[in-house]
Amino acid sequence: MRNIFIIAKNTLKLEIRDKILYGIIVFGLLYVFFTLFLADLVLKEPAMVKAFGLTGIYFFNAIIALFLGTTSFFKDVDRKVVYFILSKPVSRAKFVLGKFFGLCMVLLLTSAILGVAYVGVVMYEHAGFDWIGLTAIAMQFLEMALFLAFAIFVSTFASSLLSIVYTSGVFFLGHIVSQLVTDAKAIGLGGIKLWLVEILYYIFPNLEKFDARDFAIHAVPTPFTSFAFAVAYAAVYIILLLSAAVWIFDKKEI
Amino acid sequence: MVEFSHLTKAYKKRVVVDDFTLSVDVPIFGFLGQNGAGKTTIMKMIVGLLEPTSGTITIDGALSSHPIFKKKLGYMPETPYFYERMTGIEFLRFCDELFDNNNSGTSPAARTSHYEELLKKVGIFAARDAEIRTYSKGMRQRLGFAQSLVNDPEYLFLDEPLDGLDPIGRREMKEVMLGLKQEGRRIFLNTHILADVEEICDEVGIVHKGKLLYAGSVKAFCAGKPLEERFMEAVQAHETEARLEPSKK
Repeated sequence: MRNIFIIAKNTLKLEIRDKILYGIIVFGLLYVFFTLFLADLVLKEPAMVKAFGLTGIYFFNAIIALFLGTTSFFKDVDRKVVYFILSKPVSRAKFVLGKFFGLCMVLLLTSAILGVAYVGVVMYEHAGFDWIGLTAIAMQFLEMALFLAFAIFVSTFASSLLSIVYTSGVFFLGHIVSQLVTDAKAIGLGGIKLWLVEILYYIFPNLEKFDARDFAIHAVPTPFTSFAFAVAYAAVYIILLLSAAVWIFDKKEI
Repeated sequence: MVEFSHLTKAYKKRVVVDDFTLSVDVPIFGFLGQNGAGKTTIMKMIVGLLEPTSGTITIDGALSSHPIFKKKLGYMPETPYFYERMTGIEFLRFCDELFDNNNSGTSPAARTSHYEELLKKVGIFAARDAEIRTYSKGMRQRLGFAQSLVNDPEYLFLDEPLDGLDPIGRREMKEVMLGLKQEGRRIFLNTHILADVEEICDEVGIVHKGKLLYAGSVKAFCAGKPLEERFMEAVQAHETEARLEPSKK
């Protein structure tokens, strides 16, 4: 366990020194503050501040997760920095887990920074302390953790560029897959076509389960069952993805 | 004692280490061979970075890849790559922390002073707080060497440790190796530079195309001839033998 923590801490330390990350966070912060003006232009309603703000945080965290997930692990292996680590009493499983938790800590930090800015902006709009919005941000974080686990899994066998393609593909499919099944049934699709759509539904994570932004926008508390289900869903997927990543990485000739 | 028993490594059908059997019990042992001879693959198998296809490597009777044994070894990879945004001293601290109980009973100040001593030993103390991305190739080699000493290892495995160093740097590093020998540590080094082997190794293993052609003292191998000449003779004799072997069958 200690080695996982050491690698995670080191990953966090190195990533927060990356100027690209700073650039994305600064843009994220500017966007969150800019929602004040966007909302004024549209309806002058706090709901619009929340909608724009939460979507912005989601968007910028997704960029950070994609950027970190597809490069950090791959670079360590490709540039052979792992030789220093794995020649010490560190198993490959601990290295994978350390990288994952380290990158999660980076995302937690960026979510916290953008979340504080969001809460400040919402309070400035006289909408009170938006704890429902914070719940939505927490659920977004779970989605991003799953996203990171998938990116690390792909990085164990694919190049950085391919990881971006696959991870973006899963991100896209993960958001439309449940709608695809509903639409397929609505238009009476049957046979092998429906079967294929259903396979997609069961293989790809349903990322819509992490979307609690509508609850925050309409100031309706997120049902506890939705939150608990999202936590369990993310945990199961992350465990499966990281187990597969460890299994592949264990067999990889480095 | 380090023992290799019928060690073989193959990537699909390509055999890169072929039935390698050897026992080593000298302070400084050098694997000598051309580029691509299989030296790095052997070293990576010793430190557990690669799994042998068959055969075993044991050190003092225990499998070398065992986590307990890993605490006793230091490894410097060929052309080391680092986390560029770390400083030299941060990198040593990170490597040290990966040895689970290494820090127990020692204060952080004592550990820092240990890292500083190592950096002084390899001659890059002045750059301890500079980011590694600003280091020259020679400084990176020296840092790679320093990290291999961070856990005070009994056995050191150094892959081309003198590559990229200027003549003064080579001299200094060789002196450090001889000093480590005096302290009772065992050193294995890979090199294709004959002069280094002649100067510091007690015994050598000549590796060619994954096979061990010779193991023993440099003096016995040379038999009065220059090492370079004898090395070429051994390699050419093996090549001729390999060419004749199919016709014998």
